Amino acid sequence: MNAKQCDYEAGSTGQLNSNPGSEVEHLETDGESRRSFLKKMIVASAATAVTGFPYTRAQAAENPSIKFGLLEDRSGNFAIFGINKWHGTQLALKEINEGWTLEGGVQGPGGPGVFAKVAPKPPTENIKEIVNRGGDETKDDTVWNEEDEYLVKSGENGVLGRQLELISPDPESDNSQFQSLARRLILEDKVDVIMAGFASAEREAIRPIMDQNKMLYFYNNQYEGGVADKYTFCTGAIPEQQIVPVMQYMIKNFGPKIYTLAADYNFGQLSAAWTRAMAPILSAEVIGEEFIPLSVSQFASSISRIQEAKPDWLMMYITGQNHSNYYPQADAAGVKIPMGSSINIAQGYEHRRFKAPALARFHVTASYMEEIPTPRNRKFVERWRKMFPDEPYMAMEGHSAYVATHLYAKAVRLAGTTDKETVIKALESGIGVEAPSGWVFMDPATHHLSQYIRLASCNEQHDISFVTEWPYIEPWWTRRLGVNLVRHPESKQYIPDEDPFFKMFKKKGKG
Amino acid sequence: MSLGYLVSLLYQYADSIAFLLLAALGLMIILGVVNVINLAHGELIMMGAYITTLTYHRAHLPLPLCMALSTIGVGLFGMLLERFVIRRFYDDKLGALVATWGVSLILSQGTLLVFGPSLESVPLAAWTFSYGRYSFGGYRLLLFVIAIAIVLIAWWVFYHTRLGVRTRATMQNADMARALGVNTRDIYLLTFGVGSALAGLTGALYAPTTTIVPLMGNQFVDVAFITVVVGGGANPIVGALTSAALLSLIATPLSSTLGTFSGRIGLLIAALVVIRFLPRGISGYFQDIRYRRMARGVS
Amino acid sequence: MEREDKRWWQVLNGPQELGRGRVFWCLFTFAALGLLAYPFVGSVFALSNFANFCLYVPMGLGLALLWGYSGVLSFGQSAFFAIAGYVYGIISGNLLDMPGGTLLAAAGAIAASAAIAAAFGYFVFYGQVSGWIIPLLLLVLSLILETFMAQTAGYQWRVGSVLLGGYNGMTNIPSLQIGSSIFGGASIGFYYLVVSAMLITYLGLRLLVNSHYGHVVTGIRDDVERTRMLGYNVNLMQIQVFVVAAALAGLSGVLYVSWGNYINPSSMGLLPATLPVIWTAVGGRSSLLAVLLSTVTLRWLADSLAVKGGEYAFLIMGILLLVTMLFFPAGIVVTLARHWLQRKPERRDLKKNRAP
Repeated sequence: MNAKQCDYEAGSTGQLNSNPGSEVEHLETDGESRRSFLKKMIVASAATAVTGFPYTRAQAAENPSIKFGLLEDRSGNFAIFGINKWHGTQLALKEINEGWTLEGGVQGPGGPGVFAKVAPKPPTENIKEIVNRGGDETKDDTVWNEEDEYLVKSGENGVLGRQLELISPDPESDNSQFQSLARRLILEDKVDVIMAGFASAEREAIRPIMDQNKMLYFYNNQYEGGVADKYTFCTGAIPEQQIVPVMQYMIKNFGPKIYTLAADYNFGQLSAAWTRAMAPILSAEVIGEEFIPLSVSQFASSISRIQEAKPDWLMMYITGQNHSNYYPQADAAGVKIPMGSSINIAQGYEHRRFKAPALARFHVTASYMEEIPTPRNRKFVERWRKMFPDEPYMAMEGHSAYVATHLYAKAVRLAGTTDKETVIKALESGIGVEAPSGWVFMDPATHHLSQYIRLASCNEQHDISFVTEWPYIEPWWTRRLGVNLVRHPESKQYIPDEDPFFKMFKKKGKG
Repeated sequence: MSLGYLVSLLYQYADSIAFLLLAALGLMIILGVVNVINLAHGELIMMGAYITTLTYHRAHLPLPLCMALSTIGVGLFGMLLERFVIRRFYDDKLGALVATWGVSLILSQGTLLVFGPSLESVPLAAWTFSYGRYSFGGYRLLLFVIAIAIVLIAWWVFYHTRLGVRTRATMQNADMARALGVNTRDIYLLTFGVGSALAGLTGALYAPTTTIVPLMGNQFVDVAFITVVVGGGANPIVGALTSAALLSLIATPLSSTLGTFSGRIGLLIAALVVIRFLPRGISGYFQDIRYRRMARGVS
Repeated sequence: MEREDKRWWQVLNGPQELGRGRVFWCLFTFAALGLLAYPFVGSVFALSNFANFCLYVPMGLGLALLWGYSGVLSFGQSAFFAIAGYVYGIISGNLLDMPGGTLLAAAGAIAASAAIAAAFGYFVFYGQVSGWIIPLLLLVLSLILETFMAQTAGYQWRVGSVLLGGYNGMTNIPSLQIGSSIFGGASIGFYYLVVSAMLITYLGLRLLVNSHYGHVVTGIRDDVERTRMLGYNVNLMQIQVFVVAAALAGLSGVLYVSWGNYINPSSMGLLPATLPVIWTAVGGRSSLLAVLLSTVTLRWLADSLAVKGGEYAFLIMGILLLVTMLFFPAGIVVTLARHWLQRKPERRDLKKNRAP
């Protein structure tokens, strides 16, 4: 498998002796019958199966390698996202080990006003054309130069003369597996950093373990926001970067009547709270709201309620494989209402999975999408496809994983050590990189990235165009609540209920 | 309440019945006749959807033909499964539970490894019609018609053919049926094949309206189990139909007026209540009534 | 009817369980001593990981009692597991400053599981619901709980100072604490706690199934009506066994949250619901020892596969389960043990213990 090309060695260190099931073997020691022979065969084949499989642990070089722990789901419910993120990290590690790095580094306090690389000329023809299609036009002089190649030689193979060694067991979309593997990576493999988790539940399952062991942890995923944790760095987009922009655009272009369809769990409920709170500020109104349990896959009643409410547009916070059925079903029922979202399409590439025109009139604010037409992204796509020719789509989270890996390598180089506390200081120094999507900057106070956000619009043929872009949106919400992890280390997740601002607009009962 | 709303409610009701029926019928027939809980049911549905999607995209066959291929393919697979796996567990049915669980792991993860995390779905003819402010999908109504047709066919086979008589005999008393010359092994083989074929058909029919991923079977499995519980195994066909109709009758108005969450909880609570009062499910209740009537007739 | 004046160790060595006689008990003592001595050689991680495998044993043994000995299958053990985990989290989170608060929480959690089981048992056993309905009904019950708990994000879902946490789960649940020693997931104390819970559960259940009561329970399994005719309150006894099994699942749940400091609704989903049934069936439900061994082994296997097999883990697990069941349909440990015992008919313990 191509996925394995990244210097893996078949390990054979599995020990049968340590097998807690060896008590079973006592029972068969004095038998030569067919049954016990079969039993032996099975035990033997099980042992080979366990030990003979590609063992995702590379051989150490002369210099002790930097151990890079990765827990991404390669099976179970979230495999569709986890495999993509696993690939993103592998690509970044390969580049780092072959002597490449993303341009960037410490940029002072950060912010485009101070450090903008003003484009020498307007964005490429391509972008210009697309930006003209509507929406707030991006100001030419704040767009980064998209023609530069930002993958540059780092001057050494690996970091600090050490190779990065990937240790990536498969947590199987299972929270308790996440916990036990996190402990294994920390206590047994003694890794230097862990990047892990797709679902927020997976993150919350292992975050206490990271804190107890003072382990540097990256969560590379778009999520509901609010994590403020000294040891956790989040590189995915968060509500203030996605929800407000997409609402602004949708209200301006389609009207003020919003209907929210959200998954009935933390992400959906909190995102819906954002929409509710922001609507009056943007002089719009949420006229209906429905929360769908994660196990629901049939949407006839939701569709009829939407048709009854007649909103100008729909705010979609539905997630998971069951919920994505909404799109073909709504299309089949003839619902033609424009949709805005902060996740669908960019995360689960529904526009590639469902036949057109199920996702027509869909709008999403994304920190990355494969279709971004800039030359630097085309080159990135080329590198990715070369390494993983079978990848169906390079989604937002795979890109986050890629960027986070490069960001970590940069921070280690800056720190001059892999000591976690020092690397955290380096990450808090105002460091940023030129990602394939654009410039991203690690905000020291909140441990979240400022993002280059684009608003993607999907047409009847499921072609993506980017109608508006915001080159630099800061993670401002937890800062609003007074979070400053540099000065006051803490480890919790804030939710909108803790912000009086959200209560001001709280709707009286559920839609 | 407008007329449009009523029509919409009726449409939702039909849609819900079709889903429950198609999801549960195969599982229920296997449970009723062979008395095995097939934990790989969801994966058989997934197989059906994959065969349809793959033959459509790679062999460019017309969609109905792809669906027929799914039905036949999964049915044959089910017969192989019965012949080489399930058959060994007729003395001790618990083993079948674990074995089918193993099969489901192999199928779902094997699919992930071979075909990747997702496939592009097949297109859906855009038949829509509208009434008042509501518009409806024609394909969903077609699903309802097909579901009802399948139940009618199954009912006919069950009650009006020699095969049906033999199957019922096997269900009621396998030893006695064997003594009377019924080859119960063949009946089991055939039943498992038919149950699997129905799962394959379900997957094929829903392939245009769902996401094609290796674990897609899960969305059918939990409602299928609930439908089976409420229907009971005494008579799979009557059980599936009445249970789907009853559960939809409770869940649809709840979903429609109070939201999907209430519909979901209502569905589950309805199952609990039914079981409390009809411990052998609806079909078991009907059977008891019939036996009681027969007993009265004899005495 | 059996004589009642047996000594406890004779009861312990009774015929309702595999592995009797001197050889077995020597091996058992040896294994137990080995487990107790393991912390002197094992790393902290190895202990934590092994404790993680073993903490599911009480749940597995409870199901063995319920299914193998009393004939009632359950897909609801994971729900009782999760209920106990949540209740423990709620009580201990609210009694953070109270000494012994976590112990009170553990007791409350197990009691909650037992109470819910008793209420449910009252409905199904007095309703004389039978056959496949009970396991599927329990499955439905756990799916309701899962659906409900998944939407409890936000401040309105709060018990005292503890947030239920919705699908993201309840976080920062304190570990068990006795006096000043904290039984955190990666501590030697926790390892000993789990190992002793496992051994005590095993020996306790062994005593139970070999007692007079246990013989009646198996009587119910073999023929409900006959046992009823003999004058036993069958329904009550079924409820009692069901409650014991639920309480044991609750014990596992408490140990689990103490180990991981976290629980979320997916512990009540479809997959976790089937796992205890798989462990029990693979080992052989008619023996507690078999279930103990298969629970630990399968947990270990799943973990090793996740580490070494990567995305092949589920595939290998599926093939192993399928092959195991094809060749050992009554459970691998039970089949092998029976096979071994049959080849040694001169075995001393057979003669010593007259069949009841």
